Amino acid sequence: MDTFHNIGTSTDWIVMVVYFMAIMLFGSYFGRYTRNTADFFFGGRRFAWWLIAMSIVATGVGSHSFVKYSAKAFEHGFSSSMTYINDWFFVPFFLFGWLPIIVYTKVRSIPEYFEKRFSPSARFLATILLMLYMIGYIGIGFLTLGKAVLPMLPEAMTMLGTSFDITLMRAIIVIAIITGIYITFGGQTAVIFTDLLQGFILIFAGLFLFALGIDYLGGFNIFWNLLPVEWKLPLAHYNSPSSFNFVGIFWQDGVAGSIGFLFMNQGLIMRFMATRSVNEGRKAAAVNILFMLPISAIVVGNAGWIGKAIAVADPSVVSPNTSPDQIFVVVASIVAMPGVFGFIMAALTAALMSTVDTLINATAAIFINDVYRPTKQFLQRKQKVKTVNEKKELFAARIASIVITATGVLAVLAFKNFPTVYEAHGFFHSTLTPPLVVAIFLGVFWKKFTPAAVMATFIGGVALMMLGARYPGVLIAPFDHGIVMNPDHPYSYIRALYNMLMCFGVGVLVTFTTQIQKNVVASFKKIGNHRQIGYGIIGLNVVLFVMIALNTGSFSFLMSAAIFIVLTVPVMVTYFGHYDEAYHTVGLTSWTMETARERFKGSKVNDREGEIVDLNWKIADGDGDIVRLSENDMKRMNANIGDLLYLCDKRKWLGGLKSIHVVFGTPHAEDGTIYITDEQQKGGMFVTGRLLTAEKEM
Amino acid sequence: MVTLQHTWIPYLYLYGVGGLFFLVGMIIIRKSGSIDLRRKSHRMWNRVLIFGFFWFVVMHAILTYAALNW
Repeated sequence: MDTFHNIGTSTDWIVMVVYFMAIMLFGSYFGRYTRNTADFFFGGRRFAWWLIAMSIVATGVGSHSFVKYSAKAFEHGFSSSMTYINDWFFVPFFLFGWLPIIVYTKVRSIPEYFEKRFSPSARFLATILLMLYMIGYIGIGFLTLGKAVLPMLPEAMTMLGTSFDITLMRAIIVIAIITGIYITFGGQTAVIFTDLLQGFILIFAGLFLFALGIDYLGGFNIFWNLLPVEWKLPLAHYNSPSSFNFVGIFWQDGVAGSIGFLFMNQGLIMRFMATRSVNEGRKAAAVNILFMLPISAIVVGNAGWIGKAIAVADPSVVSPNTSPDQIFVVVASIVAMPGVFGFIMAALTAALMSTVDTLINATAAIFINDVYRPTKQFLQRKQKVKTVNEKKELFAARIASIVITATGVLAVLAFKNFPTVYEAHGFFHSTLTPPLVVAIFLGVFWKKFTPAAVMATFIGGVALMMLGARYPGVLIAPFDHGIVMNPDHPYSYIRALYNMLMCFGVGVLVTFTTQIQKNVVASFKKIGNHRQIGYGIIGLNVVLFVMIALNTGSFSFLMSAAIFIVLTVPVMVTYFGHYDEAYHTVGLTSWTMETARERFKGSKVNDREGEIVDLNWKIADGDGDIVRLSENDMKRMNANIGDLLYLCDKRKWLGGLKSIHVVFGTPHAEDGTIYITDEQQKGGMFVTGRLLTAEKEM
Repeated sequence: MVTLQHTWIPYLYLYGVGGLFFLVGMIIIRKSGSIDLRRKSHRMWNRVLIFGFFWFVVMHAILTYAALNW
């Protein structure tokens, strides 16, 4: 396979450095809008849908990057786009299930939902699984960044008289340092605005590259006719080759990946949580999936298509043996002139950095919310003191970002031996998403799903998944749809089907046998030293789980161990835990959304439609979130005292940057004027003389 | 030689199995009351969700037809 170094000129490097500096300055400007951890992680829940939809483009394009899609586009053609056009199936679940639930329950992280819906131990396991998922995702991001930059770097460099090789890992470490510095001082608002800018630039750069490529080839007709029919089909071959087939990728990406991206990508979820309301979040998601993703499919894949067409027309320009992961850089350097190539590469690498930034920020949020705060609360309970120090938390968040960045670099080691980034990402999604995806799904949409079932899904499901990884020819093969197993990377994609079925099966089985578990526990409690026996069974479960993880024992023994875990974990959870179904489901599942809304508001929801009004603002004394409008203005808005109000600078192009959420107080008589407090003015960063737009929320 | 395994079988699988997931999702959000068709905005969202599904059905059909015939 042909690999490249030293692609690009000094002009390209100058353009890249200038681009990066401009982007960092842009992000730093918005870093000043970060005042506390809520702003650092969530951007203060205030942005308009279009701003978030556009900022998600950079995150989506970065994570499903130019590098990996160009590689598959070069190898297989237009079917590289299928992962961008298969996300709609789970959108109803997201828009009217998960999104409103996470907003209305005011959870700050996915594991926090698990504590509210199930138990603290479910939160603990969810935290571990989610941190693994996020750090793995960061590792994939760094790997992609390294592969994107490596062709531009020389093979070796001399510094202070010492010569050293430039390897993938060394390049990644330098990139990680730059990325870590940026995120540490930025925060979510900075990331959102940087991504907004980069979303536009990325789409422009990608489409511009496509136009340059078509021009290079001599026109669209020539390009179209150069490609073999198989290359023009939008979906891959049903079940071959094992490295890229439709059915495997459907289950890995269309099902596990889509649900994983929408439901458990904390970075993306935080972006939706930064929208000013659930409805704005829905708009952002719908526009992104319906329109931006198909455009993004062209943006990220076209270099591979152009590369294939050039390789067919003149193999001496682009060799068919070019390393797929380098095809983007190779094609960009051929069709774009110096400087333009630098701009395209800057846009690519900056977008990848945006994705990694988002993920680091999100993982830090999980750490603060699900590790730092609970630990601190536990210690304070022991010391009987209670203090919340915002500055300390913000500092801890920044330190966490640095540690997570370093861990992400180490995670690259797990993926760097896959032939392409695409396969590494596919394996990663198939392996790490199923337990959490199934648990979130059943938790949100099935009231009967119990803590015993979720714990069994996490522990028993993962045990069966590990067995599948050890014995793919026995356990995954029945689900392979005729895909030939590659012994080096067995069932990279279709394993997602097996893994999801195992987790789903365990969850459903345990839920349907809840009464049996209760009966067993009742009988168990009649035994003399039942508590000691209970601890013994937990200990045995830990030993068996470790044995499965380390593959110590025969297949039949390990299979029996996994079945033992699936059967005994729910019984032990039922025995040691306490679960009140009404308390843990009302307002926490899609079946009780109205209660969730009432809890969010704190009183009965007012859904009567009213006008959106423009108001002058004046400072007055007041309490907390309360603002005062005239009686007539409140009538126009169909609002009552206690209703929620979104107050925003009238300039729509700001996208909600200057805005706050407040509550209607007692009315006054001055039409067209709103009385806000000094604190509210500072929170919304409202400018003297500028009108505000007021919209009743609920 | 382009076979059905590369053209319409993946298409049917995608919108058959995927369509089943979509249908189950639509039924659950309606049954659970999460989407309330008495509300004007929710009626709009219901239409958007159905439009979205057929948007992709048509898009893939056109792309497959174009690859085979144009």
